[in-house]
Amino acid sequence: MSWLYLGIAVIFEIAVALAASKAQGFTRLWWTITTLITGAIATFFLSLALLTFDVGVGYALWVSVAGVGITILGAMLFGQRLNWRQGAGIGIVIVGVVGLQLGGAA
Amino acid sequence: MTATLVTNNRNTGAWLVLLLAGVFEVGYALSVGGSQGFSILSWSISALVFFLLTLFCLSVALKRIDVGIGYAVWAGIGSVGAAALGPVFFDETLTPARAFWLAVIIAGVVWLKLADSPKLETKSKAAMLGATQP
Repeated sequence: MSWLYLGIAVIFEIAVALAASKAQGFTRLWWTITTLITGAIATFFLSLALLTFDVGVGYALWVSVAGVGITILGAMLFGQRLNWRQGAGIGIVIVGVVGLQLGGAA
Repeated sequence: MTATLVTNNRNTGAWLVLLLAGVFEVGYALSVGGSQGFSILSWSISALVFFLLTLFCLSVALKRIDVGIGYAVWAGIGSVGAAALGPVFFDETLTPARAFWLAVIIAGVVWLKLADSPKLETKSKAAMLGATQP
Protein backbone atom coordinates (compact mmCIF):
# COMPACT_ATOMS: atom_id res chain seq x y z
CA MET A 1 0.00 0.00 0.00
CA SER A 2 2.82 2.41 0.85
CA TRP A 3 4.29 1.91 -2.66
CA LEU A 4 0.86 2.77 -4.15
CA TYR A 5 0.71 5.99 -2.12
CA LEU A 6 4.27 6.80 -3.15
CA GLY A 7 3.34 6.16 -6.82
CA ILE A 8 0.38 8.55 -6.62
CA ALA A 9 2.59 11.16 -4.90
CA VAL A 10 5.16 10.78 -7.71
CA ILE A 11 2.53 11.30 -10.44
CA PHE A 12 1.30 14.49 -8.79
CA GLU A 13 4.88 15.70 -8.24
CA ILE A 14 5.47 15.35 -12.00
CA ALA A 15 2.32 17.45 -12.51
CA VAL A 16 3.75 20.04 -10.06
CA ALA A 17 6.93 20.34 -12.13
CA LEU A 18 4.97 20.81 -15.35
CA ALA A 19 2.60 23.37 -13.80
CA ALA A 20 5.46 25.26 -12.12
CA SER A 21 7.31 25.56 -15.43
CA LYS A 22 4.15 27.00 -17.01
CA ALA A 23 3.62 29.41 -14.09
CA GLN A 24 6.71 31.44 -15.15
CA GLY A 25 7.94 32.47 -11.71
CA PHE A 26 4.36 32.39 -10.43
CA THR A 27 3.32 35.36 -12.56
CA ARG A 28 0.50 33.39 -14.25
CA LEU A 29 -2.42 32.96 -11.85
CA TRP A 30 -4.05 29.72 -13.01
CA TRP A 31 -0.79 27.82 -13.45
CA THR A 32 0.25 29.04 -10.00
CA ILE A 33 -3.02 27.75 -8.50
CA THR A 34 -2.55 24.45 -10.37
CA THR A 35 0.98 24.21 -8.95
CA LEU A 36 -0.26 24.74 -5.40
CA ILE A 37 -3.16 22.26 -5.70
CA THR A 38 -1.09 19.49 -7.31
CA GLY A 39 1.62 20.19 -4.74
CA ALA A 40 -0.87 19.80 -1.89
CA ILE A 41 -2.14 16.47 -3.30
CA ALA A 42 1.42 15.21 -3.85
CA THR A 43 2.32 16.21 -0.29
CA PHE A 44 -0.73 14.44 1.16
CA PHE A 45 0.04 11.13 -0.55
CA LEU A 46 3.72 11.48 0.37
CA SER A 47 2.68 11.81 4.01
CA LEU A 48 0.62 8.60 3.70
CA ALA A 49 3.63 6.81 2.18
CA LEU A 50 5.84 8.12 5.00
CA LEU A 51 3.60 6.36 7.54
CA THR A 52 5.50 3.25 6.41
CA PHE A 53 8.72 4.50 4.82
CA ASP A 54 11.35 6.33 6.85
CA VAL A 55 11.50 10.01 5.91
CA GLY A 56 14.96 9.84 4.30
CA VAL A 57 14.09 6.77 2.23
CA GLY A 58 10.56 7.81 1.20
CA TYR A 59 11.60 11.34 0.32
CA ALA A 60 14.61 10.24 -1.78
CA LEU A 61 12.46 7.68 -3.64
CA TRP A 62 9.78 10.29 -4.28
CA VAL A 63 12.14 13.00 -5.59
CA SER A 64 14.23 10.65 -7.71
CA VAL A 65 11.41 8.66 -9.34
CA ALA A 66 9.55 11.91 -10.05
CA GLY A 67 12.79 13.29 -11.53
CA VAL A 68 13.05 10.29 -13.86
CA GLY A 69 9.39 10.77 -14.85
CA ILE A 70 9.89 14.48 -15.56
CA THR A 71 12.90 13.77 -17.79
CA ILE A 72 11.11 11.03 -19.76
CA LEU A 73 7.88 13.05 -20.07
CA GLY A 74 9.83 16.14 -21.11
CA ALA A 75 11.55 14.18 -23.88
CA MET A 76 8.20 12.77 -25.03
CA LEU A 77 6.45 16.15 -25.02
CA PHE A 78 9.18 17.81 -27.06
CA GLY A 79 9.69 14.76 -29.29
CA GLN A 80 13.36 14.50 -28.33
CA ARG A 81 15.43 11.40 -27.73
CA LEU A 82 17.08 11.11 -24.33
CA ASN A 83 20.79 11.93 -24.50
CA TRP A 84 23.38 9.60 -22.95
CA ARG A 85 23.68 11.76 -19.82
CA GLN A 86 19.94 11.51 -19.12
CA GLY A 87 19.99 7.78 -19.82
CA ALA A 88 22.89 7.32 -17.40
CA GLY A 89 21.11 9.37 -14.70
CA ILE A 90 17.95 7.27 -15.04
CA GLY A 91 20.10 4.12 -14.86
CA ILE A 92 21.84 5.28 -11.67
CA VAL A 93 18.49 6.06 -10.00
CA ILE A 94 17.08 2.64 -10.97
CA VAL A 95 20.19 0.85 -9.65
CA GLY A 96 19.84 2.78 -6.37
CA VAL A 97 16.13 2.04 -5.96
CA VAL A 98 16.59 -1.67 -6.75
CA GLY A 99 19.63 -1.86 -4.45
CA LEU A 100 17.68 -0.24 -1.63
CA GLN A 101 14.85 -2.74 -2.14
CA LEU A 102 17.08 -5.83 -2.37
CA GLY A 103 19.01 -4.70 0.67
CA GLY A 104 15.71 -4.69 2.53
CA ALA A 105 16.38 -1.10 3.48
CA ALA A 106 13.27 0.40 1.86
CA MET B 1 33.37 46.58 -14.62
CA THR B 2 30.45 47.88 -12.60
CA ALA B 3 28.05 45.75 -14.62
CA THR B 4 30.11 42.61 -13.85
CA LEU B 5 30.09 43.38 -10.13
CA VAL B 6 26.34 43.92 -10.10
CA THR B 7 25.78 40.62 -11.94
CA ASN B 8 28.04 38.79 -9.48
CA ASN B 9 26.21 40.25 -6.49
CA ARG B 10 22.86 39.29 -7.95
CA ASN B 11 24.06 35.75 -8.58
CA THR B 12 25.46 35.42 -5.06
CA GLY B 13 22.06 36.50 -3.74
CA ALA B 14 20.31 33.98 -5.98
CA TRP B 15 22.60 31.19 -4.76
CA LEU B 16 21.94 32.11 -1.12
CA VAL B 17 18.18 32.02 -1.81
CA LEU B 18 18.64 28.63 -3.51
CA LEU B 19 20.50 27.24 -0.46
CA LEU B 20 17.72 28.62 1.72
CA ALA B 21 15.15 26.86 -0.50
CA GLY B 22 17.11 23.62 0.05
CA VAL B 23 17.04 24.09 3.83
CA PHE B 24 13.28 24.79 3.72
CA GLU B 25 12.85 21.64 1.61
CA VAL B 26 14.51 19.61 4.40
CA GLY B 27 12.06 21.19 6.87
CA TYR B 28 9.21 20.31 4.51
CA ALA B 29 10.28 16.65 4.19
CA LEU B 30 10.70 16.23 7.97
CA SER B 31 7.37 17.96 8.69
CA VAL B 32 5.46 15.83 6.16
CA GLY B 33 6.96 12.73 7.79
CA GLY B 34 6.21 13.98 11.29
CA SER B 35 2.61 14.87 10.42
CA GLN B 36 1.69 11.13 10.43
CA GLY B 37 -0.57 11.44 7.38
CA PHE B 38 -1.56 15.00 8.38
CA SER B 39 -3.13 13.81 11.63
CA ILE B 40 -0.84 15.90 13.87
CA LEU B 41 -1.69 19.60 13.65
CA SER B 42 1.64 21.22 14.59
CA TRP B 43 3.68 19.19 12.06
CA SER B 44 0.95 19.74 9.42
CA ILE B 45 1.10 23.52 9.80
CA SER B 46 4.89 23.37 9.72
CA ALA B 47 4.69 21.31 6.49
CA LEU B 48 2.39 23.88 4.87
CA VAL B 49 4.64 26.80 5.83
CA PHE B 50 7.82 25.06 4.60
CA PHE B 51 6.01 24.03 1.38
CA LEU B 52 5.19 27.66 0.55
CA LEU B 53 8.65 28.92 1.62
CA THR B 54 10.58 26.36 -0.42
CA LEU B 55 8.42 26.94 -3.52
CA PHE B 56 8.77 30.71 -3.23
CA CYS B 57 12.55 30.68 -2.68
CA LEU B 58 13.11 28.17 -5.48
CA SER B 59 11.11 30.28 -7.95
CA VAL B 60 13.05 33.43 -6.97
CA ALA B 61 16.42 31.63 -7.28
CA LEU B 62 15.55 30.09 -10.66
CA LYS B 63 15.08 33.54 -12.18
CA ARG B 64 18.89 33.92 -12.01
CA ILE B 65 20.17 30.35 -11.87
CA ASP B 66 19.85 27.78 -14.64
CA VAL B 67 16.85 25.49 -14.00
CA GLY B 68 18.76 22.19 -14.25
CA ILE B 69 21.56 23.30 -11.93
CA GLY B 70 19.07 24.91 -9.54
CA TYR B 71 16.89 21.80 -9.25
CA ALA B 72 19.96 19.59 -8.83
CA VAL B 73 21.24 21.60 -5.86
CA TRP B 74 17.77 21.92 -4.34
CA ALA B 75 16.88 18.22 -4.66
CA GLY B 76 20.36 17.25 -3.45
CA ILE B 77 20.17 19.34 -0.27
CA GLY B 78 16.58 18.21 0.36
CA SER B 79 17.24 14.49 0.10
CA VAL B 80 20.60 14.45 1.90
CA GLY B 81 19.11 16.60 4.67
CA ALA B 82 16.04 14.39 5.05
CA ALA B 83 18.15 11.21 5.19
CA ALA B 84 20.62 12.70 7.69
CA LEU B 85 18.09 14.39 9.98
CA GLY B 86 15.31 11.75 9.86
CA PRO B 87 17.08 9.64 12.55
CA VAL B 88 17.62 12.80 14.67
CA PHE B 89 13.93 13.74 14.83
CA PHE B 90 12.25 10.35 14.55
CA ASP B 91 12.70 6.76 15.59
CA GLU B 92 14.66 5.88 12.45
CA THR B 93 18.03 4.31 11.76
CA LEU B 94 20.42 5.08 8.91
CA THR B 95 22.41 1.87 8.43
CA PRO B 96 25.59 1.96 6.29
CA ALA B 97 23.87 -0.14 3.57
CA ARG B 98 20.87 2.18 3.49
CA ALA B 99 23.09 5.28 3.45
CA PHE B 100 25.03 3.80 0.52
CA TRP B 101 21.96 3.10 -1.64
CA LEU B 102 20.42 6.45 -0.74
CA ALA B 103 23.69 8.10 -1.84
CA VAL B 104 23.44 6.24 -5.18
CA ILE B 105 19.83 7.40 -5.67
CA ILE B 106 20.63 11.01 -4.73
CA ALA B 107 23.70 11.03 -7.00
CA GLY B 108 21.47 9.73 -9.79
CA VAL B 109 18.83 12.43 -9.41
CA VAL B 110 21.42 15.22 -9.11
CA TRP B 111 23.18 13.89 -12.24
CA LEU B 112 19.81 13.68 -14.02
CA LYS B 113 18.90 17.29 -13.21
CA LEU B 114 22.33 18.48 -14.37
CA ALA B 115 21.84 16.49 -17.60
CA ASP B 116 18.58 18.43 -18.14
CA SER B 117 20.48 21.70 -17.97
CA PRO B 118 20.56 23.48 -21.35
CA LYS B 119 23.36 25.72 -20.05
CA LEU B 120 25.76 22.85 -19.32
CA GLU B 121 24.86 21.27 -22.66
CA THR B 122 25.85 24.48 -24.46
CA LYS B 123 29.03 24.78 -22.40
CA SER B 124 30.20 21.23 -23.14
CA LYS B 125 29.39 21.70 -26.82
CA ALA B 126 31.36 24.95 -26.83
CA ALA B 127 34.25 23.18 -25.09
CA MET B 128 34.19 20.42 -27.69
CA LEU B 129 34.15 22.94 -30.53
CA GLY B 130 37.00 24.81 -28.88
CA ALA B 131 39.00 21.60 -28.57
CA THR B 132 38.67 20.76 -32.25
CA GLN B 133 39.95 24.14 -33.34
CA PRO B 134 43.70 24.42 -34.01
